[in-house]
Amino acid sequence: MAMRDLVTGGAACAVPGSSSSSNPLGALANALIGSSSQKERLQEIPTSALNSSGNNLYAGGVDPLSALPGSELEHPLHQQNKGSEFINGFHAANDNRLAEVWDGIQNPQIPHFPPGQPQLQPELNGPPQRVLSSFLHSFVNSSHGGVPFGPTQLPVLGLSEGDKRCIRDRSSIMARHIFADRSEDFINGQVNALLSSLEIDNQGMARGPMPGRYPELEQYWGESQAMPPRPHGADGWADEFAQHRAGQGDPNAWALSFERQHGTGGWASEFEHEQSQMASVGQMAGPNIPSLAAMEQTRMLAHTLAQNNNPKFQNSKFLQFVSKMSRGELTIEDNQVKPASADWANEYQQQYNAGPSSWADQFAHEQVSRAPERWADDFANERVHHGPVDEQWVNEFSKLEVNDWADEFGRQVGEGILGDDSADNWASAYDEYLNEQAVLKEKSDSSRGVYVFSDLNPYVGHPEPLKEGQELFRKGLLSEAVLALEAEVLKNPDNAEGWRLLGVAHAENDDDQQAIASMMRAHEADPTNLEVLLALGVSHTNELEQQAALKYLYSWLRNHPMYGKIAPPELSDSLYYADVARTFNEAAQMSPEDADVHIVLGVLYNLSREYDKAIESFQTALKLKPRDYSLWNKLGATQANSVQSADAIYAYQHALDLKPNYVRAWANMGISYANQGMYEDSIRYYVRALAMNPKADNAWQYLRISLSCASRNDMMEACDSRNLDVLQKEFPL
Amino acid sequence: MPVFKTPFNGYSVKFSPFYEQRLAVATSQNFGILGNGRLHVIDLSPAGPIAEIAAFDTADGVYDVSWSESHDSLLIAAVADGSVKLYDLSLPPTSNPVRSLSEHTRETHSVDYNSVRRDSFISSSWDDTIKLWTIDRPTSVRTFKEHAYCVYSAAWNPRHADVFASASGDCTARIWDVREPGSNMILPAHEFEILSCDWNKYDDAVIATSSVDKSIKVWDVRNYRVPVAVLNGHGYAVRKVKFSPHRGSVIVSCSYDMSVCMWDYMVEDSLIGRYDHHTEFAVGVDMSVLVEGLLASTGWDELVYVWQHGTDPKAP
Repeated sequence: MAMRDLVTGGAACAVPGSSSSSNPLGALANALIGSSSQKERLQEIPTSALNSSGNNLYAGGVDPLSALPGSELEHPLHQQNKGSEFINGFHAANDNRLAEVWDGIQNPQIPHFPPGQPQLQPELNGPPQRVLSSFLHSFVNSSHGGVPFGPTQLPVLGLSEGDKRCIRDRSSIMARHIFADRSEDFINGQVNALLSSLEIDNQGMARGPMPGRYPELEQYWGESQAMPPRPHGADGWADEFAQHRAGQGDPNAWALSFERQHGTGGWASEFEHEQSQMASVGQMAGPNIPSLAAMEQTRMLAHTLAQNNNPKFQNSKFLQFVSKMSRGELTIEDNQVKPASADWANEYQQQYNAGPSSWADQFAHEQVSRAPERWADDFANERVHHGPVDEQWVNEFSKLEVNDWADEFGRQVGEGILGDDSADNWASAYDEYLNEQAVLKEKSDSSRGVYVFSDLNPYVGHPEPLKEGQELFRKGLLSEAVLALEAEVLKNPDNAEGWRLLGVAHAENDDDQQAIASMMRAHEADPTNLEVLLALGVSHTNELEQQAALKYLYSWLRNHPMYGKIAPPELSDSLYYADVARTFNEAAQMSPEDADVHIVLGVLYNLSREYDKAIESFQTALKLKPRDYSLWNKLGATQANSVQSADAIYAYQHALDLKPNYVRAWANMGISYANQGMYEDSIRYYVRALAMNPKADNAWQYLRISLSCASRNDMMEACDSRNLDVLQKEFPL
Repeated sequence: MPVFKTPFNGYSVKFSPFYEQRLAVATSQNFGILGNGRLHVIDLSPAGPIAEIAAFDTADGVYDVSWSESHDSLLIAAVADGSVKLYDLSLPPTSNPVRSLSEHTRETHSVDYNSVRRDSFISSSWDDTIKLWTIDRPTSVRTFKEHAYCVYSAAWNPRHADVFASASGDCTARIWDVREPGSNMILPAHEFEILSCDWNKYDDAVIATSSVDKSIKVWDVRNYRVPVAVLNGHGYAVRKVKFSPHRGSVIVSCSYDMSVCMWDYMVEDSLIGRYDHHTEFAVGVDMSVLVEGLLASTGWDELVYVWQHGTDPKAP
């Protein structure tokens, strides 16, 4: 999840191109209602039915532009030039029309439509400019909640080439400002939805993102250090948060902001976001998984709603607009927007119990889903993007001989035919999603310090499992060492050293969730163990949990035989970054030869994002402890954070020279290559890391992103099926 | 304090340097994505509502406006069709715009009038260039082309007639001297697009930059390795940043998070004021030179607010 934006950002296309000429000027086709076929609509029948009644759109009276002073004529009004209908149309709207129009869109009962489809054929047959205006409004405002902007079928608006160019260019540039904290895919998705709805050729985005100077964002940090504690979902929000705070230097503001972030959606919903990011990468990968991508869009929607509970945003015109668009009268009640991950499955269960026919209704009551129409919009979007226009999803659906999608859904659920490998089967994607959610929920519960033991552990009953575990760990056989150490802590649950080593093994094996659980147990068993305190401090730093990190790091100092006396106990109650940092600096002056103090200082500076100082501290520590591979890894991660990926690779290489089985360093290596745009190289490192520990879920996700960015869609299947043999053959290191 | 409703989405607001009650407002239809634009000139009155003195329509959105420092009736507008237009309030509408300068090949995003050498101004554009103009010439004097992406803003140094700064989507701010062939300094100020920059009015070496990364950074161009201050608090991209004409360390900013913030970058708790009066993106903000503490803002909620710092902008 680290670097997802980064990597995907690199994949964005920035080639200016010419707009299509498919849309004849000045034609307002009557929007099709009822049974009109998709094809008919797409023919864009040119008509001369443009409305030119002279009512001014804005009360208060504005001279039509045609009355502008002649001096302007050397630079003619472009709309006028290109189609006077356009101008006139701006003055032809009936204000109430819009509401009717959008309400109309919502009506799921429109006869003749295949189920689920109505929202795709809005009766937008008002004056084109009014429609356009509202449509653009919804696009711009979709930023407020970060809600994906669904494509809408609009009537032919008679946009000139110039108009289209403007819309394309400006919306793509603005989207990058407005959706700055979203991924490049999300931004492209928004813009593409806009453009495709307006039938604007989006082949060449006029201005892509700025090339180059894509920094290694803070989010990278969450992945690259020794022990991020929570399940991988947690990294998602930490990264997201880190990105929010990019360039942040003030720890207090940081803490505040963290609280805000933490308080709203929670990390679980962030995970969803994460997941959807992943999927949108997949969505770029090709047309083979469109329905999955559509599902992901829905998830993103759920996530973003859960995340943003700023009442102001939720009260904005925009959200009202979108809610109207999505289901009529739904208003967002800010505090009831739940983190979607936990509730989705339950809701689903209820719906299922209530019978498939009520599915749509149920959905309508569920904020999380934000109404099925949106979902289907997104789905349609996918179809539009991944096929010729005349092969829209409706047709796809009819191929499946689905007359009533609700029934079909019910049938499929009932018969359990969801595993159909047809990529068009959205229902299966939905089902998969639910399963994932359930698994995720379990995982997230377990992440709260609950250690999950392996089944069938051959070391149970071993006479000296701790010794065996230490030996295996020393040899670098991490997965084996984990088993032996599990046997040890099963035997002696109070053995702090057993738990600690288990934690270290998991961390090095890139399994953060288990690592943090082990460390917590170690801490319980021995609250004064310095190494455990340091490890927990690092973990919380990775998570950007400043207070917790400070707590553990300060405990480290308090319990240290040498420095305990310079750490006043009263400080423990209210820790401020500055105080802690000062105390550690004192400690470093006391004994400049103690590598541990420099390591902690390095971690602290990471907390305050003073990366230069952090690098300096780690380098000092490395002079004292040149063979500490985890220290090299820390140095690398810090360098990567301060946009020195090349140096970071050097540091990781050092770590790997010292410990060739250091899975995390292999994965970090891959991340650094990916950050430099060297996706092929990054793939090799991810594959190597995975070969050593196929359970490193994060690395699988990075691999997927890199495959996508390197245009190796051919290997996507191998990645999804976790077929390491194929991957290793294809990407030898 | 008074509120003015514009038919289009507000893009920029500027106090007149000559009349304390006068403001110019640049607006664009459909958020500037497509449609017309309008430049409003409005007068505050102590008792009554805001009065509109003039309104000029354009065929494309107006993204920015700047008052002339030499003539009280002269305005320059940055228009989305790439043109820079001059308007003279003293002339009848039929004579306006008095000049339309079409050289930029993409949207003109900002204009700034030189307050020292009062016959010149600069415009910055999405065509990656900045152009230098004088009032009396029909074509630009110079084009500065170094940025690798859209230039969202360019601002004259308040002391030096020849020095200006630019902020670009290529994540750099640059310092230029119009007498030099190229930029004097490249400031990799943010890791995301930089949307705005402004000079300190009391220290001619200090500039502020604002970025999509939600932060504002204050830089001393004599020592540009580290920012003098990093101001965090906005929740979305910071669209405009402006130094106070009255207090050297005070900055006002507006953001896509819909808020207008006031900062003092010299003190520890830099955020000294926050106004959440807009209901859509706040994209234009200005501080009056003539009345200390008087602020104006506009946004995509089609409203222009004028208020005294410390008071509620929405208070009647």
